[in-house]
Amino acid sequence: MKWMPETKAFDEAFDRDGPRQHYRPLVSILESFTRGEIERRERLQKLSLMDQGITFTVYGEREGTERIFPFDFVPRVIPAREWERLQAGLLQRVTVLNLFILDVYGAQKCLKDGVLPPELVLSRKEYKRELLGVIPPQRIYTHVVGTDIIRNGRGEYLVLEDNCRCPSGVSYVLENRNVLNRVFPELFTAYPVQPIRDYPNLLRDTLLHAASRGSERPVVVILTPGMANSAYFEHSFLAREMGVFLVEGRDLIVEDNHVFMRTTGGKQKVDVIYRRVDDDFLDPLTFRRDSLLGVPGLMNVYREGNVGLANAPGAGIADDKAVYTFMPELIKYYLGEAPLLPQVPTYLGFRPKDLAYIRDHARELVIKTTGDSGGYGMLMGPFASKKEIEEYVGRMRKNPANYVAQPLVELSAHPTYVDGRFEPRRIDLRPFILYGETIRVLPGGLTRVALRPGSYVVNSSQGGGSKDTWVLAPKHA
Amino acid sequence: MLSRVADSLYWMGRYIERADNITRLLLVTEDFSTETQGLAENLAQSAWKDLLAVFPSAQMTRAVAPLAPLAVPYLHAFFLDAGNPYSIHFSMRKARENARSVREALTLEVFLAINEAYRALETYEQRGMPDLPAFRDALTAMQKGIFTVLGAIEQTFTRDEGRLFVRLGEALERLSRTTLVLRAKLPGLLAAEPRTDLPLYYTQWRTLLRSLSSLENYRKVYGARLEPNLVIAFLLFDSNSPRSLRYGAAALKECLEAISGPGGLTPPARLVGRLHADLCYDDEELMRRADFAGFLDHVAAELGKTHDALATQYFVT
Repeated sequence: MKWMPETKAFDEAFDRDGPRQHYRPLVSILESFTRGEIERRERLQKLSLMDQGITFTVYGEREGTERIFPFDFVPRVIPAREWERLQAGLLQRVTVLNLFILDVYGAQKCLKDGVLPPELVLSRKEYKRELLGVIPPQRIYTHVVGTDIIRNGRGEYLVLEDNCRCPSGVSYVLENRNVLNRVFPELFTAYPVQPIRDYPNLLRDTLLHAASRGSERPVVVILTPGMANSAYFEHSFLAREMGVFLVEGRDLIVEDNHVFMRTTGGKQKVDVIYRRVDDDFLDPLTFRRDSLLGVPGLMNVYREGNVGLANAPGAGIADDKAVYTFMPELIKYYLGEAPLLPQVPTYLGFRPKDLAYIRDHARELVIKTTGDSGGYGMLMGPFASKKEIEEYVGRMRKNPANYVAQPLVELSAHPTYVDGRFEPRRIDLRPFILYGETIRVLPGGLTRVALRPGSYVVNSSQGGGSKDTWVLAPKHA
Repeated sequence: MLSRVADSLYWMGRYIERADNITRLLLVTEDFSTETQGLAENLAQSAWKDLLAVFPSAQMTRAVAPLAPLAVPYLHAFFLDAGNPYSIHFSMRKARENARSVREALTLEVFLAINEAYRALETYEQRGMPDLPAFRDALTAMQKGIFTVLGAIEQTFTRDEGRLFVRLGEALERLSRTTLVLRAKLPGLLAAEPRTDLPLYYTQWRTLLRSLSSLENYRKVYGARLEPNLVIAFLLFDSNSPRSLRYGAAALKECLEAISGPGGLTPPARLVGRLHADLCYDDEELMRRADFAGFLDHVAAELGKTHDALATQYFVT
């Protein structure tokens, strides 16, 4: 079995002298397999995914095409000490994200103190002025956060973006572990891997904590846009794992300023909605009028404090990419601490000086729209044609405040099984952070891998796959 | 439970039962037509045509080679044609869609079994069916796949309201389909002159029993002798055979009572209760009058009303 180390970027598994220490047992176990054996296991794994319907829905193709999310069996290993640092940085970050949201929908102190320009925040589409002064139960906006982490050429962990709206992917984290357990049990023998199966319980606790005051035994539901949504598998998976109802907008009605679901036995009150529907579609009376996915009147109930919404509406302002640029300042402002996790240097289209730089260096930069995620609305300068760059920059000029740019980070690479060899492929990491009574980080998270050679794009819609992510337990003293 | 979920579970139950019925009818009819084709081609032909009465809005769209065996267009249409709303393919796809839309209300085993059965169908479709034995083989495998689904439901589904709605769909579908099979077959069989060709005559009665997987059950009660009146009485009024009308009405009644719990009668429960009473207490009169077509039409109409009443009572959101 041949291993090809990465030459351009940071290799997670190998340094110049061979496998890194925490990859040695893995490499030697994998080397003990023949190619035929590995391929037999791979077939088992694919069958298992397809039979279980662990799929995502692809938009734009034949309606409702389901695909399996490609899974690479070579796990990513994160040593305990590295993880501890990451975890501390994430806790700090999520604390500040929540404080920031509370502030901008409350006293707006950070704007008054000039930590970041008010117009930058207040002009965002994700800033919902309807929600000014509406404080959610327990003062928590960001119940579930997925923060995307990458490693640069030196192996430093950097925050690439925060997802404070409806981050998805956690079902694949759990299923990847199940599949790897079943198909390659041998790999687990040499490592103290931190378990993750408890996530649904933790999520449930987090959601129960989001209930408004005085709900005795809160009823929690998951609100899904429906089967055609790309993350439908995850919605239904989480509902099953948590033992809660999975509802669509049409299952809910608002009466007497409470939310009810329509059941065979009549109406039943709902206390917490884990909504996997964007703000804009939640309530046609408040946001988009053409939304068929939402519940008319829902926002009134929320304002009255009669239903908990997770994540709270308006939280999207914190994962705006222009706001991201100010995270180091915000951490200092709210906590008086230095950021524990560095982030990628970012140029703001909003600042004339930065804009000029972006324009002149578009070929070296990754330019993104501030409100999009999932790799949409993005220009990768180094890989784009001249024409593409010109067109993109032309669009940017019309509304520069909606753009940011970053230097291209050489994402770290990880051995990935491709046609009988282990080849390096770029990866990132999305840890999941739950904000309930306390803040907790699921050990590991979703490692996405760009399966096309040389590609930097890890999104499932664009040729990405995923890996099991192992966080090793600290050694007992 | 959520009305939408109850609705989907009900339809999941209906479609699985429907797929099971289509599979069995295709296997039995194929058998019959192979056996009788040389002997009495018109009988073989009408056996296939009866399927269009059992599944009234079925569509035969696919063009077939002129020299293909009689059975082939029907097998194609009712097995693999995704465009025919009464094909196994269509039914299993719908069963899976419904299952998928309420996955959280099912057990993993149930979804797995449905998903596997459906995926097997897709494989057959891709591979194509070169000849009758290939069809027979695939249909037999299909039947096993469906039994696996039913087994998973039986073994793993929690006995809650959701399970009751699955059973409700299954019971209503089974009762309707049995009614339509009888309605399609009985008038012709009763009009036939038995003395002209005895073996063929009994083959048809035997096939009727097999179509409703009741041949062995009948033999247990009446032995090997096929007496038309006994067969009819058995299929209509036997209280233990799972595909008799009386048994089906009892199952439906039981489900509805379990769903509504003690308390007032719901409109669908009234309809089913009356039907059940007819089948329990009016058997002698019905046999004496022997207007089976009229009675079966009445049953079919009542079942149609029951479905509508169920939708109003539980599903409309």
